[in-house]
Amino acid sequence: MTGLVLEAVDRPLGSGRLRVDRLEVPDGETLVLFGPNGAGKSSLLRIAAGLGGRRHHLAAAYLPQRPHAFRGSGARTLTLGLDEEAVARAEHLAADLGVSAVLDRPARSLSGGERQRIALARVLARPDPVVLLDEPFAPLDARDRGRVASVVARSLEGRTAVVVTHDLETAVMLGDRMAVMVDGAVRQVGPVDEVVRLPLDESVSGVLGAGNVARGTVTAVDLPLAAVDLGEITAWGIGDAAVGDGAAAVFGAEAVTVFAGRKTGAGSARNTWPGRVEGIRPLGRLVEVVVDAGVPVVALLTPGSIEALQLHVGSAVTVAVKATAVRVVPR
Amino acid sequence: MEFIWDVVRDALEVLSAFGGELREVIWLTLIVSGVATAIGVVIGVPLGALLGIGRFRGRGLLTAIVNTGMGIPPVLAGLLLLLLLWNEGPLGSWGALFTPGAMIAAQALLAIPIAAGVTAGAVRGLVPDAHETIASLGLRTRGRVAVAIREAWPGVIAATAAAFGRVVSEVGAVLVVGGNVEGETRVLTTAIVQESRQAEFGAALALGIVLFAIALAVNGVLTWIQLREPR
Repeated sequence: MTGLVLEAVDRPLGSGRLRVDRLEVPDGETLVLFGPNGAGKSSLLRIAAGLGGRRHHLAAAYLPQRPHAFRGSGARTLTLGLDEEAVARAEHLAADLGVSAVLDRPARSLSGGERQRIALARVLARPDPVVLLDEPFAPLDARDRGRVASVVARSLEGRTAVVVTHDLETAVMLGDRMAVMVDGAVRQVGPVDEVVRLPLDESVSGVLGAGNVARGTVTAVDLPLAAVDLGEITAWGIGDAAVGDGAAAVFGAEAVTVFAGRKTGAGSARNTWPGRVEGIRPLGRLVEVVVDAGVPVVALLTPGSIEALQLHVGSAVTVAVKATAVRVVPR
Repeated sequence: MEFIWDVVRDALEVLSAFGGELREVIWLTLIVSGVATAIGVVIGVPLGALLGIGRFRGRGLLTAIVNTGMGIPPVLAGLLLLLLLWNEGPLGSWGALFTPGAMIAAQALLAIPIAAGVTAGAVRGLVPDAHETIASLGLRTRGRVAVAIREAWPGVIAATAAAFGRVVSEVGAVLVVGGNVEGETRVLTTAIVQESRQAEFGAALALGIVLFAIALAVNGVLTWIQLREPR
């Protein structure tokens, strides 16, 4: 298997065009397609699925954006199109996703979240090496998302996948790399953390919001908070995680406060890290400041603040983030 | 008004007598139209579902043929079959002309496009999400057709009702290829024509009432099936 390659896509999309020269997903990796509504994410995914042309040649396990609940029992919707082995896998997945108990009820009487989990189980059970998921967690309650996400993440291990989402947490949970689409074009492709931290330009940061994604291991839990060891620093944030779990700390660049100089015990912020300014660049009407605090931390400031703090590359600073502004996302 | 009451009274008399002749006509009607509907459904429903889901070359042409077939005059369908089955015709050696078999074939020709056309409309009318999900199941064409038929179930029942309604009520096709031979190829509609022509209005009305009752009963059963399917 050699992953997935999309090449020379050029077709109408709404009032514009969907144009992608080349988009590659290496074997075994998960690519997140991120972008606003109408950017062409779903259209591109359908093309990858083999359903974009006049003739259909399904080439992957594909979860449409709003999977249909078929007539008959939930079990029928779960197993349609699957062979015996896949049916067994689908039943396991349904159990893991918490929908075993509703399978004998009419599929159309089930809630949106239950239907979505049944559809996910069917699609993930397929033997195809390539998996394509369109907004897999959109209809799910926040309370179900974590569980479903970990089942999906486990199922995607070793498979080549493309996941369409406009939810950053989903992107962080599932994605190895991220492609940001705007107006029918892929504007930036790279590792999720990097794209989030360093959006190429305003078109990308406008979609994504500049932000921080740092990965590590959970070392302490003090509900509702958890601490993620990021190497040289530890980040506290909100999230359900157990000690020893792999997790990412996710927080927006606008949530980061920058103090000039070295400061200790800055207010109520649990996360106070000393560092040094590594880069400063304008991002629209704001300025993005990258601070090396052991891990790179991105902050968004106004030009006025930059001036008041007299920040320049090399300045010693302290960055602070309230723990409540940090999401700890299991990974 | 007196005339009407006389006809109604005559009709009721015919019905209460309910002779063997009437029973034969009813029986043949049910056999001919029932089998023709069955053939029409077995061929027409999958064909219609294919047209409804399909993306294949010639779909437009086939759809046009089906739509035209839905409106073909029964007497014309009968005529075409008559030419085929006529002694000197290509299938003349079968000796099928003026038999119930020929009548079934003629009505099946009428039933297929109706069943196909109504089914195609019902399948096409499924929500786009259903079409997208059916395409994502990775089934071969036959499997996708089967799923689409089940999904468009109320439409398929409507197609069956429409096909039966079309054939049980038509007179042209069975008259041309059946010949309305008493005791052999006479069905309710051709019998009504016969009785009316001879001014036996009571008998004609009695046959009409029976025809109406059959249509009512068949559609009652179909409606029951249509509503029974879990939503």
